Amino acid sequence: MKQRSLILPVYVIWLIILVFIPFLLMLFLAFTKTKGLDLTHITFSLDNFKDILDPIYFDAYKNSIVLSTIASLLCLLIGYPVAYILTKIKSSKTRNILLAMFVLPMWSNMLLRIIGWEILFNPSSILNSIGISFDLIGSPFAIIIGMVSTYLPLMIFPIYTSLNKLDNSLIEASYDLGASKFQTFKSVILPLSLPGIYSGFTMTFLPSATNFALPERLSGGNITLLGNIINSNFGKSFNYGFGSLLSVILIVIIFIVMIFINKKDKDGDLLL
Amino acid sequence: MIKKISKFSTIFITLAILYIPILIICFLSVNDSLRPYEFNGFTLKWYLQIFKEKTLYQAILNTWGIALLATAISTVCGTFIALAISSLKQKHRQLVIFLNNMPILNADIVTGISLMIVFSFLGLHFGRYTMLLAHIFFCIPFVVLSIMPRLKMMDENSYDAARDLGCTHFQAVRKVILPAIKVGIISGALIAFTMSIDDFIISYYTTGDGFSNFSTWIYSRLNRRTFSPAAYAYNTIITLGLLITLIYINLKGDSKNEKNN
Repeated sequence: MKQRSLILPVYVIWLIILVFIPFLLMLFLAFTKTKGLDLTHITFSLDNFKDILDPIYFDAYKNSIVLSTIASLLCLLIGYPVAYILTKIKSSKTRNILLAMFVLPMWSNMLLRIIGWEILFNPSSILNSIGISFDLIGSPFAIIIGMVSTYLPLMIFPIYTSLNKLDNSLIEASYDLGASKFQTFKSVILPLSLPGIYSGFTMTFLPSATNFALPERLSGGNITLLGNIINSNFGKSFNYGFGSLLSVILIVIIFIVMIFINKKDKDGDLLL
Repeated sequence: MIKKISKFSTIFITLAILYIPILIICFLSVNDSLRPYEFNGFTLKWYLQIFKEKTLYQAILNTWGIALLATAISTVCGTFIALAISSLKQKHRQLVIFLNNMPILNADIVTGISLMIVFSFLGLHFGRYTMLLAHIFFCIPFVVLSIMPRLKMMDENSYDAARDLGCTHFQAVRKVILPAIKVGIISGALIAFTMSIDDFIISYYTTGDGFSNFSTWIYSRLNRRTFSPAAYAYNTIITLGLLITLIYINLKGDSKNEKNN
């Protein structure tokens, strides 16, 4: 397969144009005050860095970190056993159907799934007719449930992949050497599935911390996340500088996470 | 016995978390009332409404058009890119894979805004083509990633063997490599399609000129009079249709396998 082909350089250029050029542009915009992309009235300023420390945004940062950490941990708590059970199913028919059942919700529109929860969590809902009324809109609980339900499959699959790859002889060896089931799990299975956990965590944490439609619908306007601030700066207020600064910070965080994942998982096998 | 029950209930609870909102959407799709909190009786009128609601119908067509095109293009490109990556030396391979992972791990909102900024700098006209470009952008990395493990599993010598036996490069790729990585290509295409058809945030930032897909149509009409429950009906058709298809394929596929064994 040692044929030189043109596609790779083209792909690398395409990635650079669509990943690094916008990063540089945002880095530049982060140091400016501008209305949208109107560069004729651009002024340099460090105000965006001051704004970022404005206490009015602290709740959004805190919510993003706290709520999506809880949601991702819940995804892990639910997703790990599910992935484990899936790898243990012997009949390939049952396993395939179940795997497909976990992907299927992603074909159902994300916004509509969120609206589904919104309708259920409203004080007056279709459940009133059977005497139940939730009044959860605006509560952190509603947001967390929404996040878990939206991103759970993204936790199950990387863990399933890493468990599936696990060499069975290692587990047998551990039993042969006298380890109990729990010991085997703790010192063989869990450490070997850590890369799957890391990528699952990244795949659920980031999107839930930055989704803006989900808190818009499930918080009744009470709880804002990072995504809402970024969205309103690029949308309503055309404050591209401030929005860019937040995006740049996110990119830097992602970059650090990627270096970390790349060390554990050199070929990127575990993101799917 | 206890083990079985706990296994069963874990799976059941997980499926419930995933399917409760979908069931509510199904329920609303046959509810005669426009208000989501009351049930006025069973109706199928929203299903007919899908075709009458012009903007919704157009948005659905756009969603499918973009998803099919983006999947086709990114599957073809992704396959060649994966082949090219696998022939790189370790150090370069890791670097390209690192680059390739960026769009996957990046937050959707950052990807959307990045693309919006670069598209407006390039002076592109926002609409169907910018949305298509954006979808191809985030689909290719998934295709590449799902093909890479298959390439690694393949015997490195089989390509050389084919060449020794007189195949041209093109023939060897077509007759030896492609069949060996077929499963990876198919699953890559499926993932790409799944990502494209459900995307909201990136589409939201990269579209314009009145071009909407199903997600952006819903978002723009929430809380407005122009929102039609026909959207629920369409979503229900997709979910039920897929559920039936998947179960059918699995049942059929497995009985074939058993015969072969």
